[in-house]
Amino acid sequence: MKQAIGKLLWWFEERLELRTSLWTVMRHPIPRDLRTQVGWLYVFGSTAMTLFVLQIVTGIGLGMVYVPSAGEAYESLEHINYNVELGWMLRAIHNWSANGMVVLVVVHMTQVFLMGAYKYPRELTWMVGVVLLLLTVGMAFTGQVLRWDADSYWGLGVGVAMVGRIPWIGPELVELMLGGPSVGSATLSRFFALHVFVIPGLLFSALAVHLYLVVRKGISEPPQPDEPVDPATYEEKYEAKLKTGDPFFPDVFLRDAAFIGLTLLVVVGVSAILGPDGPGIPPDPTLMHVEPVPDWYFLPAFAVLALSPPSLETAIILIAPVIGVGIMLLLPVFSGTGQRSWRRRPVAVLVVIACFLCYGVLWELGVQEPWSPHMTAWSGEPVPPHMLKGLSPKELQGAAVLQQKTCRNCHALDGLGGQRGPDLTDVATRLTRDQLIRQVIQGGGNMPAYGKELNRFEVEALVSFLETCKPKGYAAAESSVVTDRAD
Amino acid sequence: MNTHTGDPPPAEATTTRRGFMEYFSWLLLAAGSVAAAIPILGFFLGPVLKPRQDEWVDFGPLADFPENSTRLVDVLNPLREKNDGMTGKLAAYVRRIEGESFQIFSTHCTHLGCPVSWFQESGLYMCPCHGGVYYEDGGHASGPPPRGLYEFEHRINDGRLVVKLGHLPTLQDPGSADVSGETS
Amino acid sequence: MIEQLFTSRPRRRQKPLCGVWYRLHGWLCVLPLLCCAGCFDSLPGKPTEAERYRRPNTIMDFATLYKTHCSGCHGANGDWGPAPPLNDPMFLAICSDEELKKILTYGRPGTPMPAIAKQHGGALTDAQIDSLIAGIRKTWGKEVTPSDPPIPKYLPPEAAGNVEAGKDLFASHCAGCHGNAGRGGDMAGALNDSGFLGTVSDQLLRRIIITGRPDLGMPNYRDAGSKPLTSEEIADLVALLASWRTADEGLTNETDAARTSE
Repeated sequence: MKQAIGKLLWWFEERLELRTSLWTVMRHPIPRDLRTQVGWLYVFGSTAMTLFVLQIVTGIGLGMVYVPSAGEAYESLEHINYNVELGWMLRAIHNWSANGMVVLVVVHMTQVFLMGAYKYPRELTWMVGVVLLLLTVGMAFTGQVLRWDADSYWGLGVGVAMVGRIPWIGPELVELMLGGPSVGSATLSRFFALHVFVIPGLLFSALAVHLYLVVRKGISEPPQPDEPVDPATYEEKYEAKLKTGDPFFPDVFLRDAAFIGLTLLVVVGVSAILGPDGPGIPPDPTLMHVEPVPDWYFLPAFAVLALSPPSLETAIILIAPVIGVGIMLLLPVFSGTGQRSWRRRPVAVLVVIACFLCYGVLWELGVQEPWSPHMTAWSGEPVPPHMLKGLSPKELQGAAVLQQKTCRNCHALDGLGGQRGPDLTDVATRLTRDQLIRQVIQGGGNMPAYGKELNRFEVEALVSFLETCKPKGYAAAESSVVTDRAD
Repeated sequence: MNTHTGDPPPAEATTTRRGFMEYFSWLLLAAGSVAAAIPILGFFLGPVLKPRQDEWVDFGPLADFPENSTRLVDVLNPLREKNDGMTGKLAAYVRRIEGESFQIFSTHCTHLGCPVSWFQESGLYMCPCHGGVYYEDGGHASGPPPRGLYEFEHRINDGRLVVKLGHLPTLQDPGSADVSGETS
Repeated sequence: MIEQLFTSRPRRRQKPLCGVWYRLHGWLCVLPLLCCAGCFDSLPGKPTEAERYRRPNTIMDFATLYKTHCSGCHGANGDWGPAPPLNDPMFLAICSDEELKKILTYGRPGTPMPAIAKQHGGALTDAQIDSLIAGIRKTWGKEVTPSDPPIPKYLPPEAAGNVEAGKDLFASHCAGCHGNAGRGGDMAGALNDSGFLGTVSDQLLRRIIITGRPDLGMPNYRDAGSKPLTSEEIADLVALLASWRTADEGLTNETDAARTSE
């Protein structure tokens, strides 16, 4: 029996000749230096690829039940969540492994950058890697659209508004992107085609090139300080290392196997605990209470769009991404040789730290959204009772006016309410009565003018309430200039 | 032809014949490719080559809109497709100033297209995304928007308000009433 | 090489420590998996019906409606807000459902109470307003023991109040806290102030005189003076307060200056 199976396999092997092709690739030598702890830094790429495969498997499953039609997509997602056996789990795994893939691709790139692995002779590997990053982000954005809830509907609106700012051809590109004059069935279908056919196809092709280059040029050995890359001698040195190298499979692969296994456990565990993402509010343009927020990886971009000065905004939207991608793509052209170790590349380390700090800070701001009004604060955030104690009837009415005129949407009392404008709990220590009146009526400093919306009684009541807004024991603000009131 | 004898054909004859064949083959390939490319490209560029214009939509009798007030009106997008479902709906803010003087605003923030909410109590539109705020007349009040709200063209037919809309307004392709948006 | 792998490699067989376990170890691996497959439905990540999106106009739950649409002014528990308390059995006893519905639907023009009904620019449907009213009654309404004389009616009597009579009543019932002629006292602030009177309705004044503000310590119609106020006397007081409300007086000069000059 065993011999029969062996014969059969041999029959195939005679024709496929995998021993000399695939098997040699699997056994390609890896420098011995990876045997130490540093070898654990080489597992991220293969894990990201595994998650991509997981995306395809779960994606095929979802493709069997998802209806890519603007009129039915939302219902079909609810159907998958509630009715299809384990449908929710598949959606959850698809979502969380997508998140994991984005994270791992970035971690992988950071590792490659810090260890100088993008330098000669692996420049093209890095460039293809940048393309893979962009395609991954493309998958993330198109996938967010397929969720077809209010976030994706208005997310498309934001994308369209950005594309629409491109000079001259903006409106035409918008129509191309939407497949028509507005977001609808043509839009969903084309994003479905992008997410399911076009981008995965490109991703596969780019991945093939990436892997070909990795095998062809070999895995970069862990860098040693003061062993700069010199194209004249590098290949020779590397060849020498390979003579004593370990075969990739199974020796070196064991680490990848362990990390891949761990990652899969985490993805499945998180999916089981947190479940799928959405769908949230339906994509109904007549529902005005939606507060669209992008998926987490785009939150820093969301923050940048809120914080950039209006005069620079279009430039930031249109030019900054091009510059960023250009720098990343051309990085090995500018620094393709020289020191590889991060110990000898302080600027590279600083750049990484600065990037992650910026991303983190902007991300945190994107989560907080201090620039966004809280749409229901005026009717849903009570005035803290301690601020009402001992107020006169007029001051009480002022507090009611403050609520009714939606001031709380932008101004907090005791930390509750919008964060757009300053917290009013201690406003009386900062502004005098005259300043308060002027600020309310004329606005300014990014505050709308309320002159037309408040009658004199309301202004009087409101300002008299604001005058009481100071902590116990604090003096009221005083005018810096004493004006003669006798005029 | 004496090819079977193994002798090469006379040089002159081959040059011209092969030259022609070569030329003809390339031409054929080019013609076939162009023939295939034209309809395919045309299909992909369809939305640009045949853009659809905004259409007039009935918003209801004037009596529905009290003077000096702003209301959100839900209609069906005249440019909707068969399978659009709820995305084929459309909403617009209708402000009746007095008599037959109206302003019809898009719900899209002019900053990045998020949905603005109307607050009757303070006479403001507020955008939940980046905090754009507009006055009752659509003018920019605060925040990052580069202009006031997009407005739609409207007219009154037999005591009913009709509005011209359909496409998603963007900065370079605003609503059908092309106002500067800097009303206040 | 592959051929050798499959045909000639000698298999090392370790003697199992325990024969039964060894024979079953395949199943032992599969068993937890089967268990897992069975309990997937009880995992915390599985979406529940409660998480399903509900359109805002289908929300009928009183607590949610009150929290989002009323608590800003009327307080988290129906009292201790700048607006008159709803957590007030006496108010709920004298104010009919029709009256409440009218207030919610149209708001109170001239006061901070906005219209809540959709057709008047608010956010709620008719059914939601009904549910809100029923919820207010159910949560805060209590049987008020019939008193003698009965609680004055919520709506004012037809005859207009008498300002002169109001002055005497004010001195006896209100001035103790609100000061002479409503100019403010140690216990309570001024009433004779257009910032106050210009943002309240006569109906609100009447209601507050009847019910007081139990949360803020203001007594009701019965406890304010030596004897309970009658419906007509309250009308007189309201007439007095209304006479103080003037369009052009009582405002400080600064406000006017700011509005006209700047």
